[in-house]
Amino acid sequence: MTKSSLLAADARTKKRNAAESRFKAYGFAAICVAMIALVVLLLSVVTNGVTAFQQTYITLDVVLDEDRLDKEGNRERADMAKVTTIGYAPLLRDALLTKIAELGIETELSERDVGDMISKEASATIRNKVLANTELVGETVSLDVLASGRIDGYFKGRVTMQSAARDANTSPEALELAQALADEGVIVTQFNWRFLSAPDASDQRPEAAGLGVAILGSLYMMAVVLCLALPIGVASSIYLEEFAPKNRWTDIIEVNISNLAAVPSIVYGILGLAIFINFMEFNQSSPLVGGLVLTLMTLPTIIISTRAALKSVPPSIRDAALGVGASKMQSVFHHVLPLAAPGILTGTIIGLAQALGETAPLLLIGMVAFVREYPAAFSSDAGLFGEAATALPVQVYNWTQRSDPAFVERASGAIITLLVFLLFMNALAIYLRRRFERRW
Amino acid sequence: MLSLSFLLVIVAALAVAGYFIAKSRALKVADGDIRSLVSLPSQHALNTALATIVPPMAALLIVSLYRRLSGNADFDLTLIILLLAITGFAFSLIGIKVETRARTLAERWILGLLIFASTIAIMTTVGIVFSMLFETANFFQQYGWRDFFFSTTWSPNFRGNSDLGIIPLLWGTLYISFIALAFAVPVGLFAAIYLSEYASLRMRSVAKPAIEILAGIPTIVYGLFALVTVGPFLRDYFASPMGIGQSASSVMTAGLVMGIMLIPFVSSLSDDIINAVPQAMRDGSLGLGATKSETIRQVVIPAALPGIVGAVLLAASRAIGETMIVVLGAGAAARLSLNPFEAMTTVTVKIVSQLTGDTDFASPETLVAFALGLTLFVITLGLNVFALYIVRKYREQYE
Amino acid sequence: MEDMIHVDRAMSTQQDIKIKAKGVQVYYGDNHAIKDVDVDIDDKTVTAFIGPSGCGKSTFLRCINRMNDTIESARVEGDILLDGEDIYDPKVDPVQLRAKVGMVFQKPNPFPKSIYDNVAYGPRIHGLARNKADLDEIVEKSLRRAAIWDEAKDRLAAPGTGLSGGQQQRLCIARAIATQPEVLLMDEPCSALDPIATAQVEELIDELRQSFSLVIVTHSMQQAARVSQKTAFFHLGNLVEFDDTDKIFTNPQDPRTESYISGRIG
Repeated sequence: MTKSSLLAADARTKKRNAAESRFKAYGFAAICVAMIALVVLLLSVVTNGVTAFQQTYITLDVVLDEDRLDKEGNRERADMAKVTTIGYAPLLRDALLTKIAELGIETELSERDVGDMISKEASATIRNKVLANTELVGETVSLDVLASGRIDGYFKGRVTMQSAARDANTSPEALELAQALADEGVIVTQFNWRFLSAPDASDQRPEAAGLGVAILGSLYMMAVVLCLALPIGVASSIYLEEFAPKNRWTDIIEVNISNLAAVPSIVYGILGLAIFINFMEFNQSSPLVGGLVLTLMTLPTIIISTRAALKSVPPSIRDAALGVGASKMQSVFHHVLPLAAPGILTGTIIGLAQALGETAPLLLIGMVAFVREYPAAFSSDAGLFGEAATALPVQVYNWTQRSDPAFVERASGAIITLLVFLLFMNALAIYLRRRFERRW
Repeated sequence: MLSLSFLLVIVAALAVAGYFIAKSRALKVADGDIRSLVSLPSQHALNTALATIVPPMAALLIVSLYRRLSGNADFDLTLIILLLAITGFAFSLIGIKVETRARTLAERWILGLLIFASTIAIMTTVGIVFSMLFETANFFQQYGWRDFFFSTTWSPNFRGNSDLGIIPLLWGTLYISFIALAFAVPVGLFAAIYLSEYASLRMRSVAKPAIEILAGIPTIVYGLFALVTVGPFLRDYFASPMGIGQSASSVMTAGLVMGIMLIPFVSSLSDDIINAVPQAMRDGSLGLGATKSETIRQVVIPAALPGIVGAVLLAASRAIGETMIVVLGAGAAARLSLNPFEAMTTVTVKIVSQLTGDTDFASPETLVAFALGLTLFVITLGLNVFALYIVRKYREQYE
Repeated sequence: MEDMIHVDRAMSTQQDIKIKAKGVQVYYGDNHAIKDVDVDIDDKTVTAFIGPSGCGKSTFLRCINRMNDTIESARVEGDILLDGEDIYDPKVDPVQLRAKVGMVFQKPNPFPKSIYDNVAYGPRIHGLARNKADLDEIVEKSLRRAAIWDEAKDRLAAPGTGLSGGQQQRLCIARAIATQPEVLLMDEPCSALDPIATAQVEELIDELRQSFSLVIVTHSMQQAARVSQKTAFFHLGNLVEFDDTDKIFTNPQDPRTESYISGRIG
């Protein structure tokens, strides 16, 4: 063998080093692919959805004409309720027409088309307002009312002159008028609180659709999951980790839990439909059933993390407690459990976050239903969490199934809301872990 | 009959009352000197409270289940519950003596509760299997199993006479999963290798959490991403210009997005598995003058192979069971085709569509969803059991 | 004093110095693990490093083929020359260095491959064989020299992990010599083996001396006495004494060496 110097790389080494850099480059490329995917995903959601938090309003001085709203003239709510939203719509249209005339804006639009620039939802809003305070009748009130979805879309760049020309629901003239009104400060864009609080709206009114019912439904379900999954998960972990004899039965439970963690979520939906709705006859679409299904789904996650937390408490702690005469149960509840609590809590929050984002099983138990009434936490006929509701992720799915592209904005906005909740929960979990984590 | 919630309030109140009465009674028995007691007053109190509340709850569960199964409502549930609560209340109070071992008794109740909690996991599995078995049996009474498993057409018809062959659905499921894995496995594996063997500490502290964020994003978000961004992009820049598809929903769309979803899953599992390969193995190779990449490719990966195969199988089971991405990204048309830019459908999509429609619940068009669900469950369970077995065998090898 | 060192150096040059270490310092983070070590390692000689655990002998051994590079916090200062070339020169590729300076580890670590592939691994990556027949020959020769051919020849395709501990370690030695190194480093090669296997490996080390320069770290003074010609005693990161093995064990100069040899520290 010839002597070679260490200081000069031979041809073979060069080749091998080139292969080394190539391999390393593949790894780096893989990281880049993952990062780019994450960035594109988030950007796509944010750019599509951030406008959902802005909404276009028209500032109007509405004359609440007594002749139209209170024909009896007695300010009796029951009588006034006979006037439907159709009766209120002309008031709004007239107010807008007056405004246009006052400002001296020329338009070729028919009165009807001008009226269509106002959301159908606006007349319902004003009707509720009047019925809530009948004294308003006869007065002129200054109001910000919702603009129609197309006008809203124009200010967000979704609707253009070209697309309006092909659209039966709006026209380039309407957009020009809207622009003129915006220049005069009549049409304004405001932060969209309604998006977070209002219930869903029908297909024709994307501008009015909100997440109120969905957020409430999700909150109720999280309450159910927390109240059931945490105690059951902790109890069963304590049994399996601290008390269970090592036998066949325990083995079966263990294998079973790790398999349950990998069962597709939709299967839990089928379980919920068959057991909770068909067999036990709980209400369809109710947060109770949703919460139960999500509880069963989250249970394996919580059990696995709780057992890990219990396992990390060193045996010396148990020995110390037993050594001063505590019973096994006392050593667990007085010493092991408190020490494992941060880990258990972190696992539970992560489990809850998973449950909050879960969609598929909820579709099967009827949570896709169109719900406009805020569900009550308790009612005498429906029981605890028994009233129909939707959930945040299901609302997203629901909106993707609508034809108006304005709902894509709403769906993305709903996702932003969902992600904010998840971010908060995960941040809390990370904080808890950092703050209380103990290394033995 | 009293309303159930009111009844529960009564039982709970009795338990709370029992707690305080037992406490004071234990003190009285001991003449105020708790040192003479075998068990502390608080343990007597706990025992009484549990004895009051646990048996009625158990009865409530058992009786309502029995009633539901037998359709027999003869039992007076109120009476049973009240009777059990009062019995437990009274007996435990009478039993308070100086030498009573209340702690043991109370702990027995608690242990019972713990055992009950741990059986819920089993009951869930039983519930899953039974809920699907019964309806699947119903389905096969109305529709031949041969047609279900071997027919190549899927065309449900609301007026009956549907073709409900699972093959096109399985094809779509497997095709999409294949594309997802073909994307996720190399990317995830290489990402894991890079992070564990090459990346600097700083790079790791950025890239690892970023990849974990991908894992925390709900699947509905990926679904919307497929529907709104990836689908139209693939259609406008690939499928349409190449003349191979006009649909934004396609196998490719769903597969790619699902692949992104699986990256963190594959990479974190691979990371664990690669780290389980002993350092001594790496040292042996480096000590012979192998480069890092030679060590990884020829020593680490072969040593970790069983574990990686297990991880891929777990990822496959995830892909097969994934619902929202395919509902929004793959389409609804059952089709047996090789073109990845065509819309196809999957088992999970059809479970959703058959169970959310307004069809009659007893019709085969609805019941087929349970047969689909059971098939899905069996496939994923098989994959999971096999994968977990491989991974466990692999771990044992290096312990 | 000056003169003595000169004389010493001159003498050792005649004995063909393979590795020359000068002022080597090793730090693990803030921990100063090796303090200013000078050692000359002769060719075709067995040099033993002894000392109590944690004295730095293994650390120093790992410096010689730059295995410390794989530990992020480790930092090496000073010069180590192999045939007069500084192995810590930035131009040196540790991969090429390790091909010349092989290593056998404390615990037998065969790859999860067949016996044949284990031995063929080094020749393959370094391209030492032109064809299959060549490779077969290298494998056979290495297994023979490692005194494991008879046990392994009928099961070359069986996994190396299936051998017994002593066989595994001899397989690892075969794997190391198949790369045709010039120096072979052994880090407590017998610590995981039973006495019979230890005896076999020791015998092997003595034979290998014909062709390589060997450096062996050992916990056992008896082993050092049995197999080595030169012995270095390390204590708390210092090289306390380095001399002919006979001299170290019969007439140590430093009181610390004496205490260790006689069992008072360690």
